[in-house]
Amino acid sequence: MTKKWKSAILGLGLVMPSFLILLVLVMYPVWSSIKTSFTGADGQFTFEHYIYIFTEPLILNNIRHTLTVTILSCSLVLIIAYSIAIYLRFNQSPIAKWINRTYLIPMFIPGVIAVYGFINFYRDNGWVARMIGEEYMPSIIYNVKGLLMINIWFNVPFTTMLLISALQAIPNSIIEGAKDAGANQWRLFWHFILPLSYRTMLVALTFLFMGIIGSFTAPFLIDRNAPQMLGVSMQQHFSVFNAIEQSSSLAVFMFLLCSIVGYFYIYSNIKGSKKEL
Amino acid sequence: MTIKLEIEHLAKIYPTGDGVKQIDFYVNEGELVTLLGPSGCGKTTVLRSVGGFIEPTSGTIKINNKEVHHLPPEKRPSAMVFQSYNLWPHMTVYDNLAFSMKLKKVKKKVIQEKVTEVLKLVHLLGMEKKYPSELSGGQQQRIALARALLLEPEVLLLDEPFSALDAKLRHELREELREIQAKRNLTMLFVTHDQEEALSISDKIVVMNNGHIEQIAEPQDVYNTPASLFVAQFIGRMNFVKGKAVNNTIRIGDLTFPFDDAYTGNVTIGVRPEDIQLADNRTSSIDALVDKSMMLGHFAEITLQTKMGSLKMFVDREQMKQIALKSTIPIHLNRFLIFNETGEVLNIIGG
Repeated sequence: MTKKWKSAILGLGLVMPSFLILLVLVMYPVWSSIKTSFTGADGQFTFEHYIYIFTEPLILNNIRHTLTVTILSCSLVLIIAYSIAIYLRFNQSPIAKWINRTYLIPMFIPGVIAVYGFINFYRDNGWVARMIGEEYMPSIIYNVKGLLMINIWFNVPFTTMLLISALQAIPNSIIEGAKDAGANQWRLFWHFILPLSYRTMLVALTFLFMGIIGSFTAPFLIDRNAPQMLGVSMQQHFSVFNAIEQSSSLAVFMFLLCSIVGYFYIYSNIKGSKKEL
Repeated sequence: MTIKLEIEHLAKIYPTGDGVKQIDFYVNEGELVTLLGPSGCGKTTVLRSVGGFIEPTSGTIKINNKEVHHLPPEKRPSAMVFQSYNLWPHMTVYDNLAFSMKLKKVKKKVIQEKVTEVLKLVHLLGMEKKYPSELSGGQQQRIALARALLLEPEVLLLDEPFSALDAKLRHELREELREIQAKRNLTMLFVTHDQEEALSISDKIVVMNNGHIEQIAEPQDVYNTPASLFVAQFIGRMNFVKGKAVNNTIRIGDLTFPFDDAYTGNVTIGVRPEDIQLADNRTSSIDALVDKSMMLGHFAEITLQTKMGSLKMFVDREQMKQIALKSTIPIHLNRFLIFNETGEVLNIIGG
């Protein structure tokens, strides 16, 4: 056996375990879901489950609700995280240092505990209501507002971390060069900081979108009964209604939504890489 | 001659206590003045203060007789060429060059003309559509210079612009910079720690050490008549020998030299290698043992052992043929400087 073949087999052997895990735990379930979503009760190929999810008002409402919550959450998280990241990158004040030391704390609090804490804090007769008076307490829990707030809590730290690393990668000298050329604060942001950090923003957006659209714990505990987020709806179809095919079609639909976001991310990365080359 | 840049009592003290302590100098219109000194001497602090990137602790900076030290960089009539080129990686060469004019809402046609003109000047016409990552280091620095020129600054600031380039390219760009400066009558403040670079391109050199100015003079004066021991050590090569000044003589071991100064105490004698020459007759010479020789291209550096101590001298190729290793040769000190204990020049003998 030649040296070339030996190294080829060794390479294949090293890759194989992770490929098999991917095949068994990811690719097979994906294929199985796709197949199930196109299979009727008689075992024949059918579109009936997709017709159901795109015509049934309850499901359509769930899709609308999921997209609204996801888009709003992503936008809010990005705005908040980007603002914090810019503040921390360009500010050396004691407040900035304090925020820098504490902004990651929410990441270390388990999701369920955070959600129950949030409920206790913001429910109609919770701590805040007792402090400000129940009559002044806006409805937060079992409401979109609550879901948006908990999504912000869960996602701002990680997104901020990603964005800070992108902003820190912009050398001070580039900013100084731009100032020297006459750029004011706004132009500095628009022509330099944003273009040099938008790719990381797209990465963050991809993670956010996929995380929020498929979230389960928070929507299950905080959201209303109807409309529901697709993650909760899928679980209900799967285990409560025992409608595995419809649940699979919802999963495939969600996968397609995530793929669209993923496509934009990959496209922008390829475009950016071409520029760098 | 009109003063373009004037720095008065400028100080910038960092929390560590380092920084620049009360310095004053000026740059005339069309002059290239170099701030020269070792790392950490404060030369970049001065330059960045002029550019508006550092707020001085005290003092004034005037450009065209107007105080500018309170203005942000974007409002100062200066432009900076940075050590690390600082081209904007997400913009093409054209966009890098056109950016400042776009901000000023200059007409597109005028922008195109100016960009073409400046690219011709830096010999990079045709590179408009390239990204900085597609250019070599030398090309990037030329574009950085072009970008600064397009700002039409009253004073062009250059922060060690050639330090990241190889020696040959550095030499080429120095010449180009001098040509451009002459063509456009630019006023420049240039920072470098490379004394050869400073000597070759400057109209005037400001030698800095530990946050203060040691000497301001033309390059040949800085080299020939350094104001202090530090300048003598920093600029060019020099042999240093310890001696003692007593009763109008200087004693170095067994040797004595006449010394026309009332100073008494320890002295340092500084002699440049090119000021040591082969003596014609042995009466006024010092015997020196040829210890080592090193070829440095068109000349050689010879290490001599003398009663004064170890000395280095330069000889040309013809002289080198006459000097044998481990032989004794007579040498004569054509010119030397005498420094007192605090490093001040007491006297210059000969030359």
